[in-house]
Amino acid sequence: MNLLLAEDDAILADALTEQLRHAGFETEHAPNGAVAEFLLLKQQWDLCILDLGLPMVDGLTVLQRVRQRKPELPVLVLTALDDLQSRVAGLNAGADDYLTKPFDFPELEARLRALLRRSHSSPVANASMAMGALVFERDSRRASIDGAPLELSPREWTLLDLLLTRRDRVVTKEEVAQAWSSERAEPGGNNSIEVYIHRLRRKLEGSGLSIRTVRGLGYLLEALRPS
Amino acid sequence: MSATLPPLASGTASGKLPLLVRATHLFAGDRSLHKQLLLWLLLPQLVLWLAAAFVTYNVAARYANRAIDASLSQATRALARQVKPIGNGLFIDFPRAAQDIIEADPDDRVYYMVSTPPGQFILGSRKLPQPPLTAAPRLGEPYFYDGMIDKTPIRLAGLYVAYGDGKSRQLLLVQIARSRASRDELARSILGDTVLPLSGLILLMSMIVWAGIRAGLAPLARLRALVEDRAPNDLAPLRIDTAPQELRSLARALNDLLAAVHESVAAQRRFVNDAAHQLRTPLAGLKSQTELALGENADPALAARLARVHESAVRSAHLVNQLLSLARAEPESALAQQTARVDLRELARELTAEWVPRALQAQVDLGVEEAADDAPPVIVRGHALLLREALQNLVDNAIRYAGAASEVTVSVRREGAFGVVEVSDTGPGIPPDLHRAVFERFVRATHEGSGCGLGLAIVRSIAERHSGQVSLESLLPHGLRVRISLPLAR
Repeated sequence: MNLLLAEDDAILADALTEQLRHAGFETEHAPNGAVAEFLLLKQQWDLCILDLGLPMVDGLTVLQRVRQRKPELPVLVLTALDDLQSRVAGLNAGADDYLTKPFDFPELEARLRALLRRSHSSPVANASMAMGALVFERDSRRASIDGAPLELSPREWTLLDLLLTRRDRVVTKEEVAQAWSSERAEPGGNNSIEVYIHRLRRKLEGSGLSIRTVRGLGYLLEALRPS
Repeated sequence: MSATLPPLASGTASGKLPLLVRATHLFAGDRSLHKQLLLWLLLPQLVLWLAAAFVTYNVAARYANRAIDASLSQATRALARQVKPIGNGLFIDFPRAAQDIIEADPDDRVYYMVSTPPGQFILGSRKLPQPPLTAAPRLGEPYFYDGMIDKTPIRLAGLYVAYGDGKSRQLLLVQIARSRASRDELARSILGDTVLPLSGLILLMSMIVWAGIRAGLAPLARLRALVEDRAPNDLAPLRIDTAPQELRSLARALNDLLAAVHESVAAQRRFVNDAAHQLRTPLAGLKSQTELALGENADPALAARLARVHESAVRSAHLVNQLLSLARAEPESALAQQTARVDLRELARELTAEWVPRALQAQVDLGVEEAADDAPPVIVRGHALLLREALQNLVDNAIRYAGAASEVTVSVRREGAFGVVEVSDTGPGIPPDLHRAVFERFVRATHEGSGCGLGLAIVRSIAERHSGQVSLESLLPHGLRVRISLPLAR
């Protein structure tokens, strides 16, 4: 995964580059806006982390210029400014996500992965997914745990797909119902979500994954913590 | 009369101001403006009133004298006409009728005397005092003078007439006197008739002056009320639409001062804001570097130190974020103008869902109290971002301080005209005697965790900006419930 980190603070950039490499991103560092713009336009990137307060050419300008040529590139804006105007300006200029400094690295990583999953530019990331012992192949519509095929009904498939895409985040019951209705899976009301969750939990036993109920909101798929 | 009237108070109130300032040795400066003006306007009025009464009395007396003198003059002439020379003697035909006229007034004693100067009594009812002696007395024109008879004051007219010619020329003095009782009576009644309406006028004038002072000073009272009623952090300019010139310049001066204070407060806020922003990047660097070092270092002693450094970095980062939040919650922030309808239930659900991963990391069971399907939306008017910040602080606090294995529940409902959001936890809670103090900045109920003591201050600041309230409640057997209530949007 190619990632460009445009950040002018050397100490932060140094640590962040290292952390990103540990997390499995091929990271390149641009210390100012001009270099960032040049590299972004010249090479192929899967992701970009862009600081707004860059020297020479500021981050917003870089973002606007790159957007014209590469509308698909997922860009996460990382900035010290978090007031409403900056946020709106960043999102208007075409940022896909917005994170303020100082941040927790796990959150940054989670957001980067979410961006990758949403991104159309990396269908590979979208096509198949592995989490714990579960392998989820969208193209062939096959799923397996430790190599053993997992039989899923269309509703269960949609539900698991949604939970996997949004893993470690809450999926509300409304979102599940919406996904079902848009996929024209077999009919059923809100009440049956519990039933399907129950079934899915049983099917995921031994996969190292667990579906957690979030009171009053919905569900969340997480990897079981080694106890 | 009009000259004695003071000019209308409203005009005078401002006109006399500099004079008053100069005259502070006479009228103590700490006396109320009201009293000073009354004193300055009514005291001269009283003096003028006394002077007017004195003058009126004298004028009245003069007119009364003139009237009496005229009648005395007539009577003397009439009496003089009755004196006719016959040969060497004089025939005085003094009919009873004339005497009747002279003695008609029973209250007023009238006396007459005919004499040949110097003071040889010929006839009369009384011996009367002589007119002032002159070398060559004026003839045919009476002298008027005052005198005493039986210790009562009298007014006299004396007319010299001459008879015969050459050596037989004879001077005759005809005098008529009248007690001054009637004259004094007349003067007194004129005085009475004048002074009574004058007093009424003075009284009326005083009331008008008093009302005028009140009206004139009313803008001052309004200004005072405006300044007294405003919140200490309200630095908006004073609005005085109708006020006299002087007050307007005072208000303008105050407004200039307010604007200067406002500017300096805003500059300080900008500085805090900028400083906080500037701190963020190096803090992020510090955090990332220590995280990295923690992952790489095998030496447990060094790792422990690094963990402390990391903890400190996390704490500083939190503090900086909270300071910025607080700056945003202040009324002068740019967000102040943007209000919208905010569905509290929707906001609570969204925000809670966002915080669930962090809660799970802290092993806290975070959830939302499920509302009935037909529950109405809870809509308030406000700043969505600020309300989110308030709620976020409550959820963050609950997760931070409730501790592992505890439950945190967010609930939203309507209560009368208010929308209520509650965040309850099953943690250790806060002792009730600290419930008030924890809303103060940098006051914390515990020394554990990496909080900075700004969370509840931010929440209160935001709630108050939305005309709402925040309160704490201890739960049984243990736990804390924080409750924000905000007026529902109409």
